[in-house]
Amino acid sequence: MRLFFLFALAVMANSLGDAVAKPSSTGFKVGESFPNLVLPSLADGKPVSLARFRGQKIIVHVFASW
Amino acid sequence: MVGVIQEQHPDRARLFMQWKQMDWPILVDSLNLLGVAVVPITLAMDEYGVIRAVNPERESIERSFLNQTYPKPQEQGVTEIKPPDLKKLRAGTAAGSASSWRTYADALVVWGAESQLDEAIAAYEKAIGLDSSHGPAYFRLGVAFRKRYESGARKADDFQRAVEYWTKALEMDPNQYIWRRRIQQYGPRLDKPYSFYDWVATARQEIQARGEKPALLLVEPAGAEFASPLKAFATDQPARLRPDAQGRVLRDKEGFIRAETALVPAAVAPGESTRVHVAFRPDLRRKAHWNNEVEDLVLWVDPPPGWEVSSRYLRVANPKTVVSRETRSIEFELKCPEKTPPGSVRMPTYALYYVCEDVNGTCLYRRQDLVLEVQVKSAR
Repeated sequence: MRLFFLFALAVMANSLGDAVAKPSSTGFKVGESFPNLVLPSLADGKPVSLARFRGQKIIVHVFASW
Repeated sequence: MVGVIQEQHPDRARLFMQWKQMDWPILVDSLNLLGVAVVPITLAMDEYGVIRAVNPERESIERSFLNQTYPKPQEQGVTEIKPPDLKKLRAGTAAGSASSWRTYADALVVWGAESQLDEAIAAYEKAIGLDSSHGPAYFRLGVAFRKRYESGARKADDFQRAVEYWTKALEMDPNQYIWRRRIQQYGPRLDKPYSFYDWVATARQEIQARGEKPALLLVEPAGAEFASPLKAFATDQPARLRPDAQGRVLRDKEGFIRAETALVPAAVAPGESTRVHVAFRPDLRRKAHWNNEVEDLVLWVDPPPGWEVSSRYLRVANPKTVVSRETRSIEFELKCPEKTPPGSVRMPTYALYYVCEDVNGTCLYRRQDLVLEVQVKSAR
C-alpha cells in the first residue's frame, strides 16, 4: 500500500497541471477537516464524499487532466 | 489515494487515468465547489478526515504521516453525507437569499438532468441579481452555459455567454487559476500556458498498443483545446485569391446552415489577440445536410487594415460519406493593432458550402456572410 502511494505520487509529480503560479495559500490548513462535499464518482456518477474513507489514512490529490 | 478533478469533462480524466493505469477513486468537481485556485494540490488526510499535510514531500509522507498515530477528535463529525435534495433546495429558495439560489443552481448542474440546465442558469442569474459580488457564481454560471452549449438544449449564444461570465469571474479574482485556465483552454495561443489536451492522441495510441480500447470521450477536444502555445502571433498568408470575389454566389437566405460565433475573450485589448470559434450546424427542422461530393466548406476572413489574422482562408475537409449532418467547427485568431480606440469593429467574413434539402434532395451552393463584431476594450 505504502509503495503504491509513493508510486502514484511519483507519477502525479510528472503529470500535468500547473507548475506555473501557486498562490501563497492553497486554502487548506493542517489540522482542519476536509470540506464535507458530496460529488459524483467518476466511475459511476453516484454520490461520494471523502467521509466514505474514514477509518483509513488517504492521500487526496486535487488535479486536472490538463 | 483519492482524486478530486477540476474540469468540466470528467470523461477526459477517465481517459487520463486509463492511460496512466491508475484506478483510484475519483470525485468530479466540475464547478470548482472545492474553491481551489490552482492544481495540483496533494493533501494527507488522517482516519478522522483531518488534514495533516499540504503538498508534502514524498519522504515526509513515508517518514511521518503513514507512521504517525493521530488523535481522535472530540467531535467525530458526520460519517456520511447525503447528496443534495433538489426539491428541498428549490423550496429553500423561497427564502429569497442569494446563497439559497446559488446552492440550488449548483445542485442542478451537478446532479440534475440536461433539461434542468435552463433552470440552473435562471437560478444563478437570480443569485447574481441579489448579490453581484460572489465570484464563484459567475464562474459556475459560465460552466452551466458551456454545458448547455454541449447538450441538446443548446442556445446559439451559450458559448459566448459562458466566456463572458468566466471573464467576469476572473476580473473579480485574477488569482483564480482554475477560472483562468478555463478561458485559456478555448482562447488564443498567445495566452495559453500549455496545450491542455494534446496528450489525448498519445494516450489513445499507447492504450491501443496495450491491446485495450480507449475510454470514449463525449466531447472531443478541438482546436484551441490542444493547440500549442505561441510566443508570437503567427499568420499563414499564402497568396490566395478571395473566393467568390464578385459576391455572385446566392446567399443562404433559407438558413439551411446556422452559423454561430463566439470570441474568446469576448473583448480584446489593443496589441492582444482573440480566438474566434465558428460552428456551422445544418438546420434539422429543414432537414438540411451537407453535400460532400464537391468542394469543402470554406471560410474567408477579411480583416480591416492593421488587424492580423492567423489564416484568411479556412476549410473543413469533407468527410468520406456522400451526405452528413455533423456540426462543422472552424477556429482562427485575430490580433488587434496597437492604439485601436475602444469600440466595436466589424470583421467581414463569409462561408461557402454545398448544402442539400432533405425533402426533395435539391443540393445548392450557397454563401453565408457572417456578422462578426469584435469588441475592443481600453488598453491596460
